[in-house]
Amino acid sequence: MSELVNTRALAPGMQIVLVDGAVAEIVSNPLDGVWVFARYLSSPVDPSVVGSEEMIFAQDIAEIRAAP
Amino acid sequence: MTATAGSGYREGLVDLARGQVSREIFVNDQIYAQEQERLFARAWLFVGHESQIPNPGDFFVSGMGEESVILCRDRPTGQARGLKAHGEIHVFLNSCRHRGMKVCRYDEGNTPVFTCPYHGWSYGTDGKLVGVPYFREAYHSKLDRAQWGLVEVAQLANYKGAIWATWDPAAPSFTEYLGDFARYLDLTLETWDGDDSGVEVLGGIQKWLIPCNWKFPAENFSGDSYHNISHRSVDLVGIGPSGGSGRRDMREREMARRLQVSFYERGHQTGVYVLPQGQPTPPAYAHSPVVSEYFTHCEEQRRRRKGEWGRVIGSPGEVFPNIALHPRQPRTIAVWHPRGAHQTECWRWYFVDKAAPREVKDFLRDYYIRYSGPAGMTEQDDMENWNYAHAASRGVIARRHPYSYEQGQGSEIENYEWQGLRIPGTVMDITEAKSSEHNLRNLYRRWAEFMEAENWDELATWRRNDRDIVRAAE
Repeated sequence: MSELVNTRALAPGMQIVLVDGAVAEIVSNPLDGVWVFARYLSSPVDPSVVGSEEMIFAQDIAEIRAAP
Repeated sequence: MTATAGSGYREGLVDLARGQVSREIFVNDQIYAQEQERLFARAWLFVGHESQIPNPGDFFVSGMGEESVILCRDRPTGQARGLKAHGEIHVFLNSCRHRGMKVCRYDEGNTPVFTCPYHGWSYGTDGKLVGVPYFREAYHSKLDRAQWGLVEVAQLANYKGAIWATWDPAAPSFTEYLGDFARYLDLTLETWDGDDSGVEVLGGIQKWLIPCNWKFPAENFSGDSYHNISHRSVDLVGIGPSGGSGRRDMREREMARRLQVSFYERGHQTGVYVLPQGQPTPPAYAHSPVVSEYFTHCEEQRRRRKGEWGRVIGSPGEVFPNIALHPRQPRTIAVWHPRGAHQTECWRWYFVDKAAPREVKDFLRDYYIRYSGPAGMTEQDDMENWNYAHAASRGVIARRHPYSYEQGQGSEIENYEWQGLRIPGTVMDITEAKSSEHNLRNLYRRWAEFMEAENWDELATWRRNDRDIVRAAE
């Protein structure tokens, strides 16, 4: 199991992997410890969301993706 | 006694004919509970000043009665960025729609969202519900987010930079609520020279608790000059801006007519000083040549812009029900937030002309805080009085004996005029009488009306008078 992600440490430009396998890039972080704003880079479950920006719930974040 | 809504306030607990007010209205928990519904849920209340939230996303957590509210200026959230103009001012109930947790527990700041720390519901600064954890999984995407935004006040008014709000959609507009009292409120909210550059809040907001009913300070600021004896020690020390004894510059007051002004149908009241015609305002703020010159210049400009009205100098007053004005020396607004029948949370804002020189603002800050607030020498006197007056009024024996409000009964003057200046409102000239409880009676007159009236049709009595005038003309 991966480490619990501290959402307050997520800065714009960092990439995250979500529990459903999607990958998103942080756009902004309100630092409330609950949500981040991120843009979908890929989504195996729902490809239609790719490119869109959404609020991502902290407990939906599986891990930080290492810089490519 | 029983405090049943709809009867017993006028000619009972508040007996203006005899000039008596029952102690029950200060110490009775049942009456306190009714005040929340009948006064604070219906009246216009002061929330803050636009200078506290200059940028999109800025917020200030304030209060309306017992409710915590968020005053904020909206900004784009997530994908909405750049799609529409933002910067609109809102006032929201600071309570999550899901389980009621406060969505903002900071005093002030800047944020893109207000997130509830309990279950994670998140709201944009426009109040819309933008984040629901497990929206797809747990709610199957069926929760109607548009129905679950933050609760917003029914009406909001930005009056000369001051933000006012009411929960009651049936309340009259704020300017109608004020009536001609607006001219007196302007003495606090307009620049001292009367131009359009505006005022701003100086420093932080002072907040503190006093063990007394909120109506003690509300009454005091309505125009109780009878209690000046309790400030004698401060006057002996001399904390004014020009040295010597006293807590203010007094020359301008000593040459003026001293008036109490009430608005019977609105419940607002204030003291004012009216300078003689053709007399310039005497110099003040002698401790600092820069400040003294600034105010001399402002007074000249004010006379030029305001004409005869420039002869009016503001004194403590009260916008009904719980907003205290202090237009000059110091210049401040206080709100007496009810926190149970036996406790009041005082919040005090200080104002300066936005365009005033730095040295003027610094000087005024020092003067203001040695006068007012929890550490202010004058306000400490007041707090001691309210504290012990309340405590000594709670017992079953004490409650049987009403307070006396008989000063000046029957001496009120309509259409008061002095040396070519007509003064709006019903006036008591206390230049020779020294003191009156005219304004205090007005506070309780309106209080009793609010406690008995079922709706704004009953409360907006001036509309009936207008209709009577129209009918008479027909």
